[in-house]
Amino acid sequence: MYLSVNGDKTYIATGGKVFDKSLPTVVFLHGSGLDHRSWALQTRWFAFHGYSVIAPDFPGHSLSEGEALNSIEAMADWLWQLLDEMGVEKCSLVGHSQGGLVVLEAAANKPDRVRSVSLVGCAAVIGVNDYLLTTSQTDRPSAVDAMLMWGFGEAYQFGRSNIPGQAPIGIGYQIMCDNPLFQDLSACQSYITGDQAAAKITAPAQLILAKKDKMTPLKFGLALAESLPNTVSTAVLEVGHMIPMEAPEKCLTELQKFITGLE
Amino acid sequence: MSKSSFFDPQTIALHTGYQPESEHGSRAVPIYQTTSYAFQDVSHGAALFNVERGGHIYSRMTNPTVAVLEQRVAALEGGVACVCTASGMSALFTTFVSLCSAGDHIVSASQIYGSTATLLGHTLKRFGIETTFVDVNDHAAINDAIQENTKLIFCESIGNPALDIADIPALAAIGKDRHVPIVVDATFATPALHNPIAHGANIVVHSLTKWIGGSGNSIGGAIVDGGNFKWGASNKDNREFPTVCEPYAPFHGISFYEEFGPSAFSMRIRAESMRDFGATLSPQNAFNLLQGLESLALRMPKHVENAEALVQWLLNHEAVGWVNHPSMDNHPNKEIAKTLFPNGAGSILSFGVKGGREAGAAFMDSLQLATNLANVGDSRTLVLHPGSTTHSRMDAQAMKNAGISEDLIRVSVGIESLRDIKNDFSQGLRAAQKVAEKSAVDSALTKKGGV
Repeated sequence: MYLSVNGDKTYIATGGKVFDKSLPTVVFLHGSGLDHRSWALQTRWFAFHGYSVIAPDFPGHSLSEGEALNSIEAMADWLWQLLDEMGVEKCSLVGHSQGGLVVLEAAANKPDRVRSVSLVGCAAVIGVNDYLLTTSQTDRPSAVDAMLMWGFGEAYQFGRSNIPGQAPIGIGYQIMCDNPLFQDLSACQSYITGDQAAAKITAPAQLILAKKDKMTPLKFGLALAESLPNTVSTAVLEVGHMIPMEAPEKCLTELQKFITGLE
Repeated sequence: MSKSSFFDPQTIALHTGYQPESEHGSRAVPIYQTTSYAFQDVSHGAALFNVERGGHIYSRMTNPTVAVLEQRVAALEGGVACVCTASGMSALFTTFVSLCSAGDHIVSASQIYGSTATLLGHTLKRFGIETTFVDVNDHAAINDAIQENTKLIFCESIGNPALDIADIPALAAIGKDRHVPIVVDATFATPALHNPIAHGANIVVHSLTKWIGGSGNSIGGAIVDGGNFKWGASNKDNREFPTVCEPYAPFHGISFYEEFGPSAFSMRIRAESMRDFGATLSPQNAFNLLQGLESLALRMPKHVENAEALVQWLLNHEAVGWVNHPSMDNHPNKEIAKTLFPNGAGSILSFGVKGGREAGAAFMDSLQLATNLANVGDSRTLVLHPGSTTHSRMDAQAMKNAGISEDLIRVSVGIESLRDIKNDFSQGLRAAQKVAEKSAVDSALTKKGGV
């Protein structure tokens, strides 16, 4: 569905069902340079099992118009505007990588409106090296290559796909080359208050982390689990950083266990 | 390196899509000779059917052995997905009907395989899909042929059998300007010689039966989704692609473009065409074709080397009237070929012997090593007279437009010893010369009023 947020046409994937705000809502946020398709499988499961799903493309990404937002704080504010627009009072927040930082910030700002937080391939701080940041501005395809090479784990480098016949690296390339990667990575690089935000989150939290994550190394994800006041579960999967795409089944299973088990 | 893998093509062909991790650690890709796949429970089955989980349901739609081949071909072509089909023709049919409905229109190159011309010009017409045929390198005519209801531009990267080279970047520029996807049959090139997607094409079709298989033992086709066409983007022509972008009722109103983005077209094929038309590649054939794919990067240079050497040899043979191959100085597309095919423009050549069709028939009937049959891309040398076989259903004008003369002999040059190929052709050309000489004598006598 499309919605106007701040005057910009915004795309929101709803998992293949019409959005119904009377159902418990699960919000899925994508990572740097990506879009709602990171969550293609998981959103469909929740939408067809009693939940309403919101998986937006951030401004300037894929099907959403407008200028890309330049900070995690601005993205969190934008998210609450979107949820207000859609009449969502309380929701579960799920975020991958940069989307996880937005979850931290958004949940810290309005903790009473958050049912749960799920942080996937995330840490309190996601450092971006200078080479990647510079390259994302001067030569986006090369920066995308670097992210796909570091982001996907071994099996995907060997061409595995959970959806038969697909080439996930190729899909990632097509999506990321069209999206404002530099603005996203700059926003991640500048966000240094993740620990303070985590401390304010009262909702139950889960972390889904990856053992072979080269972009948000496991130890930083585990540290975040420690700093959240109410961490319920931490799962460590044998994949790389692109967890929702690389391990969609296991990621979904962990999300199912956690979110369907909430009071 | 393609845009779909960080491995080089030789490595992709051997490793992509499969690692030995199953219960038995099989190094070769196993043949999953099964119709269907057990669900873990009722909800798992439902989730698979509703694309909430990835996996296999029924081998008409997907199969693990076929998926390895698909993922390798996708990676070799730099696409986002590949769907394999029972044949190259079913790959073409599936592509056309996945984009076009009754009332839609296709712009196609004239210089294409005879059965494809028949499919476009006759079969699809029965279903209300019209095609306008245009010279592949007359770009103004191609642009002019695009109508409000045009859904794709089709060409072969190397035309069969006249060997015109399509200027893919120029066609892609037209497609981009008019928001029409470029569909390229790249069978004669294979991913080892040319990647149309890297030059702006949007969909690539292969007959896997040919060089990719290489052994002439299995029929198969492939459709590679380039993922680089923005199906739902606004455009000055207001062109729309409802099969990809509009809600698809049999699938809970899914919009493939919104849900799957770059791979929307391939998902539409999987969800509709493989389910409803069932032109499935068998796992055994997928396995056979994988064996060929694994050595493609080694075979293609030898094919090209033999073809280019045979061209030069034929050019200097007194029994030969003319020769055609994109490597020749007088080929009309030589410069395009040099740019787009730096490693050679394939191993098909065509030629005519002096003495016309009868002399040509004598040549073909005398061959012992090369085989007269309706196929190309075998590792063995093959010959054919298209005018009386593969292209015989085209009318005289269509044959002319396709660049097929009465005396044209098509040669698919194999990877045998070049010396042995030349020896075989030598004795064939001697037989042709005898017929030509007799024909010349008869003709002279007729002119003089003798017997």
